[in-house]
Amino acid sequence: MRGSAAMKILIVEDEVKTGDYLRQGLREAGFVVDLARDGVDGLHLALDGDYHLIVLDVTLPSLDGWGVLQTLRHSGRETPVLFLTARDQVEDRVRGLELGADDYLVKPFAFSEFLARVRTLLRRGRSQEPEVLRSSNLELDLLRRRVIRSGQRIDLTAKEFALLELLLRRQGEVLPRSLIASQVWDMNFDSDTNVIEVAVRRLRAKVDEPFEPKLIRTVRGMGYVLEALPPARG
Amino acid sequence: MMRAFSLTARLALLFAALTAGVLVLAALLFGRMLDAHFEELDLHELHGKLALVRNAVQQGVPGTGAAEPIRVLENAFVGHDNVGVLVRDVDGRVLRIIHEEHFTPEQRAGAPLAAGRGDWSVEGRPHRGLEVRLALPPRAGGGAPTDAAGVDVLVALDLSHHTHFLASVRKATWAGVALAALVAALLGWFAAHRGLAPLRRVTETARGLSAQQLGQRLGERDAPLEVRDHVEAFNGMLARLEFAFQRLADYSADIAHELRTPISNLMTQTQVALSRPRSAEEYQDILASNLEEYERIARMVSDMLFLAKAEDNRLAHGGEAVDLAREADALIEFYQALADEHEIRIVREGRAVVSGDRLMLRRALSNLISNALRHTPDGGEIGIGIAADAAAVRLVVRNLGDPIPPEQLERIFDRFHRGSSRRDRHGEGAGLGLAITRSIVRAHGGEIAARSSGGATRFEISLPRREAAPDHRP
Repeated sequence: MRGSAAMKILIVEDEVKTGDYLRQGLREAGFVVDLARDGVDGLHLALDGDYHLIVLDVTLPSLDGWGVLQTLRHSGRETPVLFLTARDQVEDRVRGLELGADDYLVKPFAFSEFLARVRTLLRRGRSQEPEVLRSSNLELDLLRRRVIRSGQRIDLTAKEFALLELLLRRQGEVLPRSLIASQVWDMNFDSDTNVIEVAVRRLRAKVDEPFEPKLIRTVRGMGYVLEALPPARG
Repeated sequence: MMRAFSLTARLALLFAALTAGVLVLAALLFGRMLDAHFEELDLHELHGKLALVRNAVQQGVPGTGAAEPIRVLENAFVGHDNVGVLVRDVDGRVLRIIHEEHFTPEQRAGAPLAAGRGDWSVEGRPHRGLEVRLALPPRAGGGAPTDAAGVDVLVALDLSHHTHFLASVRKATWAGVALAALVAALLGWFAAHRGLAPLRRVTETARGLSAQQLGQRLGERDAPLEVRDHVEAFNGMLARLEFAFQRLADYSADIAHELRTPISNLMTQTQVALSRPRSAEEYQDILASNLEEYERIARMVSDMLFLAKAEDNRLAHGGEAVDLAREADALIEFYQALADEHEIRIVREGRAVVSGDRLMLRRALSNLISNALRHTPDGGEIGIGIAADAAAVRLVVRNLGDPIPPEQLERIFDRFHRGSSRRDRHGEGAGLGLAITRSIVRAHGGEIAARSSGGATRFEISLPRREAAPDHRP
């Protein structure tokens, strides 16, 4: 996995099944993962270990997520924190963000969504923005706002361009539909239609179908991924 | 303190007080009249006695002076123990007193009665008297001028026998008043108790009600006029409760049904998958298919949570300025790909700003647009109209499509209601979209209505106009 080989993540989660599957999922995505089952253990690990990200459940035995977060921030640790809450309450969100959390997810969530958020947080602060995004023979020029594949110029609408940019920036990652809707169209809720599917299909028809190799792939039940391939020569 | 008394007790007390008040007034008046009557009677009797005295004096033998008439008087008043007579000569000397126990010591000493009449009492016995001057018959052969002048006669009447009578009449009157008040209280209690019976019936019925018997109603016809309003209101409440309970029951059944379908899909699919060994691809396929079902369930649950929150009035909105035209345009852009697929044009006209929660309003409008997309034939058009007048902001989403029958229009905003869709697109929700839209609109103090006529369907949202607050947008 790209650039995540040495990334260390701490999960603090008391729900056994959730903790286990989050750890397994993140490990399989190439991260080094520790799991704490309660707040006190979690805080110890967070203060001792050198983590790149902490995934924190709000409701924990012995010391709740707020307490862990507060103590962590008081001790001067700026480790990014993604907190998980079962209650979709505005106060919860505001409280978490005020205490210094970086992002939150409401249970139940899709693992692909979770993984995408984790990667976003890990990517934060290490941006050397490239001007041209590439995969295989596909090239997207951010400055000139144009897309070239195998030397051929492809005309895209503004939203198609934004969608392709997102896929290219996060090539190799499976992007869930909800993330695409929120990043490209700023729609932060589930639409009860297949609009994302249609948009991807139309993009694919322009960018992928007439060419080889096929780059945009549907991962059933998860979302879409643009294959990360080494740039073609010439 | 008054609060603690029952209505019946209050009415009974009121009856008693009113009766007592009226009777006391009547008794006072009656007493007055009785007094006046007795006074007249007394005067009459006194005048009668006086006539007797005058007669005696004037029948006296001429030349005998005052001595003779007095003797006659004594004879006349034998047996009349309740009458006293006092005779003075013109110089104020007391000549004779008959039945002296009726006079005060001063009178016995010669004090005249002021103004010729008056009341006094001796040893607690009340008296009333008259005083007159009577001329004596002339002396034979002339005489001393002193004798010729006449005498002053004071007649006294002992009143104690009829003051006794009056006192007993008073006593009887007050006792009667008290008794009448008591009887009135009892009758009042009885009348109030009888009169309030319909209310007690309401109470009994209310007490006997449970969720299973909400079909019960109180008889409106036999309720008295004053209680009829209450009975009607009570029955109205029962009807609303029954309706709400029925809907709740339907809702629960709907939830169960909606959950059963994906769960049974999941079970069947998994059982079939496990019935024999399969390739990795097949397992992947099954898991992915399961995932789709799970997502459906998860979305349904979160939509239901949202609705539950709305029902609980917990959809507070921050009151930011929301440009409806901008939101509509963003949504049109979002749905563009889908609309293009079906060659549907979405146009927006007009603009207005309302106060509310941008994300929620966007979601409400999104549901209307996706609903319209589902029901518009290929090549059709969806129009979004935004207009504002002095009172409200109106947002209309209209599309051509099959007419919706009126009975469906009524239920179109109900949870889990699903009209016959023109095309069953992938990922269609569980029929909660329009319910969510309505709850969002209501949380913003607005209303939403659906109309279907002439082959077109219109959803019209009206929201209260944003009060003229300073614009917070940067």
